[in-house]
Amino acid sequence: MDKPSKQTVRIGFYICHCGSNIAAMVDCPAVARFVGTLPHVVLSRDYKYMCSDPGQELIQKDISEHQLNRVVVASCSPLLHEHTFRGAVEAGGLNPFFFHMVNIREHDSWVHTDPAEATAKAKELAHAAIMRVAMHKALEVKKVPVHPDVLVVGGGIAGIHAALTLANAGKKVFLVEREPSIGGHMAQFDKTFPTLDCAACILTPKMSAVGTHPNITLLSYSEVTKLDGYVGNYTATVKRKPRYISEDKCTGCQECIANCVYKEPKFPDEFNEGLGKRKPVYIPFPQATPQVVVIDPQTCLNFRNGELTGKCKKSCVAACGDKEAIDFSQTETFQELKVGTVIVTTGFQAFDAKRMPQYGYGKFPNVYTALEIERLVNTSGPTAGHVVLRDGKTEPRSIGIIHCVGSRDKKTNRWCSRVCCMFSLKLAHLLKEHTGAEVYNFYIDMRAPGKGYEEFYDKLLEEGVHFIRGRVGEVTDWARTPDEEGKLVIRVEDTLAGYVRRIPFDMVVLATGLEPHADAQDVRRMLNMSCGSEGFFLERHPKLAPVSTFTEGIFLAGCCQGPRDIPDTVAQAGAAAAEALALIDKGFIEQEPNTAFILEDECCGCKSCIPLCPYTAITFDAANKKAVINEALCKGCGTCVAACPSGTIVQNLFDDEEIFSEIEGVLAHE
Amino acid sequence: MKIERTIKYEADRVKGFGDEVSSVPGCEKLQACIQCGTCSGVCPLSIYMDYSPRQVMAMVRSDFKNEVLTSHTVWLCASCYQCTVDCPREIRITDIMYELKQRALQEGIYPKKFSIPVLAKEFYKMVYRYGRVSENLLAMTMFLKSSPLEALKMWRLGLGLILRGRFPLTLEKIKRRDELGRMMKVVDQVKINKLHDELKQARQHVAARSQA
Repeated sequence: MDKPSKQTVRIGFYICHCGSNIAAMVDCPAVARFVGTLPHVVLSRDYKYMCSDPGQELIQKDISEHQLNRVVVASCSPLLHEHTFRGAVEAGGLNPFFFHMVNIREHDSWVHTDPAEATAKAKELAHAAIMRVAMHKALEVKKVPVHPDVLVVGGGIAGIHAALTLANAGKKVFLVEREPSIGGHMAQFDKTFPTLDCAACILTPKMSAVGTHPNITLLSYSEVTKLDGYVGNYTATVKRKPRYISEDKCTGCQECIANCVYKEPKFPDEFNEGLGKRKPVYIPFPQATPQVVVIDPQTCLNFRNGELTGKCKKSCVAACGDKEAIDFSQTETFQELKVGTVIVTTGFQAFDAKRMPQYGYGKFPNVYTALEIERLVNTSGPTAGHVVLRDGKTEPRSIGIIHCVGSRDKKTNRWCSRVCCMFSLKLAHLLKEHTGAEVYNFYIDMRAPGKGYEEFYDKLLEEGVHFIRGRVGEVTDWARTPDEEGKLVIRVEDTLAGYVRRIPFDMVVLATGLEPHADAQDVRRMLNMSCGSEGFFLERHPKLAPVSTFTEGIFLAGCCQGPRDIPDTVAQAGAAAAEALALIDKGFIEQEPNTAFILEDECCGCKSCIPLCPYTAITFDAANKKAVINEALCKGCGTCVAACPSGTIVQNLFDDEEIFSEIEGVLAHE
Repeated sequence: MKIERTIKYEADRVKGFGDEVSSVPGCEKLQACIQCGTCSGVCPLSIYMDYSPRQVMAMVRSDFKNEVLTSHTVWLCASCYQCTVDCPREIRITDIMYELKQRALQEGIYPKKFSIPVLAKEFYKMVYRYGRVSENLLAMTMFLKSSPLEALKMWRLGLGLILRGRFPLTLEKIKRRDELGRMMKVVDQVKINKLHDELKQARQHVAARSQA
C-alpha cells in the first residue's frame, strides 16, 4: 500500500446543492469557503448537481489539473451515489477508495429546520470527512469466481419454470423436491382462472420437460438439509429419502401396483386430499414426474412402524420381475452438491380449516376445502369429475362458497391471500357447470385485480352465480324452518341488502387461505434468509429487489415469498432465473474491500469473535491457534472488530486511524 | 304511506363522536372495522335489530350520534360477546355497545318508549334509593313509562303471579339507607368523563416525559 505522507495529501472538496434539497437549508458556498481553509484542502467547490455528468467530469478534471489525491463529496446518502463518485474518482486516475462521502441531505438538510445550525452541522461533518480521508489507503476490489450450477429448492410451478429457464440457457440445474413427484399445488388444480385452461394440460409438458432435460438433475423425494459456503460457492447437502424403488430401474409400468397384496386401494390418497384411496405402493398421479412408483413404509405390510420386517409375501417384487426395481434395503442417503446460486421456491401450505370451528370443517361431512373441490371436479380425480357429496351419490343442489377462511383475520392470518377470490369464482363456475346447482359466494371484498379477472367476475355474475357481501358467522346443521331440515345452514349478514339471513345448502366450500409452510422457519435458518412477521420469506426490497434475499446468491420465487397466483409466480420464477443467470454469466463476484482481517501475529486464539460473526465467516485454525476470516463471506459489519479483546482484528476503511481522525474532525467544533 | 327524506347532511353529524367513542379504553379498534358483517352474522339478537351491529359500527365511525343512540340495537345487545370473539379485526364490539348505552343514559338520548333503556334507568334509580331492587315496582314502573297499554294486556299473568305469591306487593329496602345515600353522594361527585380526561392527560404527560 503506497500511502502518501501527510505532506503530500491534496484533497478536493465538493458540496452539492442537490437542486434546493440541500441548498435550501445549508449555506453551501459558506461550507465550501470554510472547508477551503482546512489543512491539505487544495480546492473546495459548491455545485448544483454533483451526480450529473458535468459534476463528475469536474472531479475528474480537477484531479489531473490540481494533482488531487483525495476527494470528498458532501451530498446525499452513500447508498445512492457513493458508487457514482467512486467511479468518477477512478476515472480521474485515483484509487476509488481515496474518496469519502458525507451525507448532508438525509442527515442534515432534510431533517433540520434551522439554516444556521444545519450549515454548522454540514461544516462539522465535512471537517470530519476531510480528517478521515487523509488517512485512507488504496484498496483493491477482489473478484471471486461463481460456480455455474444452480440449486432450485422446491418443484412446484415456480421451481419448474426457474429450472427450465436456466437449463434452456445451458446451465446445469439441480431441482430438489420433497414429494415423490414435482408439480406442487398446481398439479392438483382442475382449471386455472380466468382463462379456464386445464391445469394439467399446461403443466404436464413442463413437468416432462424437466424430467427429460439433459441439464436438469431432478432429485425428487429429497430435501435440502444443509447449505454451506457463500455466493458463487455453495455446498448443499441433500437428503434422499428411501422410496424403496430404484429410480434408474423403474420404468413406470405400475405392474407392482396392480399386483400388490392389497387388492383394493385402502389408504387415504394425499394427492386427492384424502378423498380417494391408494395402495401402499403407488404413483401420486398419472402425470407424476419422475414416472417412478413409491412405497409408503407406514402402510406397506413389509414394514411395521416404518421398520423393515419382511413379513409380506412381496407379490410386487414378483410382478416387477427382471427389472428388479424394488429395493427394500434402501435407506436415507445424503448427497453433496456444489452450486453457485440457489433459487428457493418452496411454496405454501393451505390454511387448516379446522382452526375455524364455526365453519364446521371436519364436523359436518359436506363442508369441503377448496383444494378438495379442485380434486372433486377434476376428471382424473377420485370421482372422475362427478361432483357428489361425501356419501358418494347425492348431487348437491345448492352450494355456498365462503371466502377469506384463514385470511384477513387477526385471529388466524392477517393477510389477504390474494388468490381466494379468483379461485372461488373459478370453483363457482366449475361447480355450476358440473351440477347446475345454485351457487352462492360469501365475500368481504371482491378482489379481482389482474388481466381478465374483473371480466371473469362479470361473466360469473351473468351466469347467475349469487354474490353476498358478508363474512359468514357460522355454518350449522340446526334447522329452524322445514326447508332447512337436513341441510347445512349459513348464517350471514347480507351487508348490501341490510338483512341477517339464514341460507340452507347441500355443500359448503371453504376458500382456505395461503400460509407459510409449518417448517418455513427451519428452511429460513438453514438458507440464512429472513422472514417477514407473517412467516413468508423476505425479499431484499419489496419493489426494487423482489426476488433477491439478504443473502447474496439466494433468490426467491413463488408463494414462499407471499401469496400469489400462477401468472405472477411464473413471472417471478423467470426473474429469479434471470438474476441467477446474471451472476453466473458475469462469472465472478466483486467484493467490497471493507472486510475485516486478522493481524496474525497478534491473535491470541481466544475465539471470542467466532460465534459473534453473523455470516459465519470466521473459523479457527487449530494448527496455528489463530482465527481466520474468510474474506468472501465477510460483509464488513465490524462486529468482530469491536469484540476482539486484543484489538487484533482490523477492518479496511474503518481502521483506528481513520475513525479517530473522523471523530477529531467532528469534535474540532465545540 | 308517508315518505321521508333519508339523505344525511353534514349538519346531521355530531362531529367528533366517532373519535370520542374510539378513544375510550377498549373501543380503540373501532377504526379498523372492515364492515364484513361477522358481528351481525353471529349475533343471536341481530334478527330483531333496526340497525345491525355492523351498521352501528359504521354509524359511530361516521359521527351519526343521534341515529345510533336512538336505535334499538345497543339496547338489544345481550352482551354474549360472540361478536367480540369472532371479529376478524379484534374490535371489542360488546364493549362499544356498553359505551354507547352509558352515553345514551348520561345524555338522555335513547328510544324513550323502549322498555330496555327504561328498565336500565329505573333499575339504577331503585338501587340508588333503596339499595335493593323490588321486582314488582320495577316491572310496573317499566311498563308505565314505556308501554302502559301492554301492561294492561298482561293483567291475567300479573294476577296469577300475585295470587301464587310470586309478585309480592311490598317494597324491598336495605337497613341504614342514610349510609348508602352518603356513599352514592361520593359516587356522584366522581365525574367519570373527568376521570377519563385526567387519565388521558396523565398518559400524555408520561409519554412526553419518556420521549424527553
